[in-house]
Amino acid sequence: MKKTISLVAALMMVSGVVAAHPFNEAFNEQRAMYGKGHSFTWNGQTYITDHPEEIAAAVVANAANATALLAAAKDQYTQVLAVDFGWTLTKNLLKSAGKALETGEFRKSMDLSAQAQYHSRMGIAQYHQSQAEWIMAVPE
Amino acid sequence: MKIIKSLLAGASLALVASISQAATSGNTLATVDPEADRSAMQSYFQKRFPQVALSDYVNGIYALDAPSREQWQSIEEFPPYEFDIEEGEALFNKTFANGKSYADCFANGGIGIRQNFPRWDASQGKVVTLELAINQCRKANGEEALGWKKGKIAQISAYMAFTSRDNVFDVQIPNDKAKAAYLDGKQSFYARRGQLNMSCANCHIAGAYIKIRADLPGPTLGHVTHFPVFRSKWGELGTLQRRYGGCQKNVRGVPQKTQGEKFRNLEFFQTYMSNGLVVNGPGARK
Ligand code: HEC
Repeated sequence: MKKTISLVAALMMVSGVVAAHPFNEAFNEQRAMYGKGHSFTWNGQTYITDHPEEIAAAVVANAANATALLAAAKDQYTQVLAVDFGWTLTKNLLKSAGKALETGEFRKSMDLSAQAQYHSRMGIAQYHQSQAEWIMAVPE
Repeated sequence: MKIIKSLLAGASLALVASISQAATSGNTLATVDPEADRSAMQSYFQKRFPQVALSDYVNGIYALDAPSREQWQSIEEFPPYEFDIEEGEALFNKTFANGKSYADCFANGGIGIRQNFPRWDASQGKVVTLELAINQCRKANGEEALGWKKGKIAQISAYMAFTSRDNVFDVQIPNDKAKAAYLDGKQSFYARRGQLNMSCANCHIAGAYIKIRADLPGPTLGHVTHFPVFRSKWGELGTLQRRYGGCQKNVRGVPQKTQGEKFRNLEFFQTYMSNGLVVNGPGARK
């Protein structure tokens, strides 16, 4: 049950860097204060402070899952680079995830892939957000 | 890391608050008005720093910060870029293998023309920066292109700026295509990027003269006038777009391409904002 709700919460959260929506603000605040795996109540509903990537990575650690997560993270990175909004640490996260996969450290690899994929998703969200909202920062 | 984050969160809240009147139009080709943008930008700074003369913005952060201005003035007594100007002059005057030279590629033999760059080139349908024009000149004469960020291209650019000192920036936006490029540059300037989620404007408009970590960002007004710059941190001369990449990396964003369309448009916007100020490059910075 808890799992379903947290998944919904995570999907609702369009972006962690962008806090326009009141839910996102609440989520970001809770996440910043308590880290992942923390549950909180918002508008009468219980949510958990996990990113969707972390939820996706919370499966059994094996070669197949680690390989799939790394592939998804790499794909997302290609997409964020295509809109020119990549983040600098992502490349090394992917590299480390690849190395961990090679040496059979599946859990480590999966966590790194989740982090990398989160970065890229945020970069893409940032791109869309900036398209819509940059004008609000222009002095008149 | 934690400190950085909370500092930034604090800073960005303050920054957002300090733009009291934000624009609601000017984000489409139909509504964007470069002259209105320029005067809004200038009056923003004049209201915030009423004691600073508009003409003083060519000195960047040193226009606002008295202590670092003193340091800088003593550096400028023996300008670290002097050698580069001399090298730049020699390179500029050296003939290509085909007997031609840079002077053949530019108006007025390339002397005293820095203030007209970047310029909209109608035949190429794009913004041409001074550095791009230098490399295009080389290629047109069968020479290899130079690297973009430092070294010879910066020296040539420095010499050309030096021959243009005190000329008034006069970037023109002659048609709608040029205006679209300007708008693209404007958007880039205000778009938040990188893991720290900050825009150029966060630091160089609202954040100008507000300490962010150990740094004191300068006003965007006058940003371009003194480039290329001999930076103590680099220990050498660098171009404006080298600095763009550095600032993007500082917010943990993958930097955009040097002399790519995005950076050329950004330079077009930034330089248009400084129209009316004089060329004072090359400059010296920390
Ligand atoms: C996190 C804050 C921050 C952001 C974001 C940022 N800069 Fe900077 N920038 C600085 C600081 C600090 C300096 C050094 C002090 C100064 O001269 O302004 C600097 C220096 C510069 C300079 C050189 C100024 C001079 O007088 O030589 C330019 C040009 C510049 N930035 C452009 C940009 C552009 C364009 C962007 C957006 C792509 C940007 N910056 C984003 C903090 C920032």
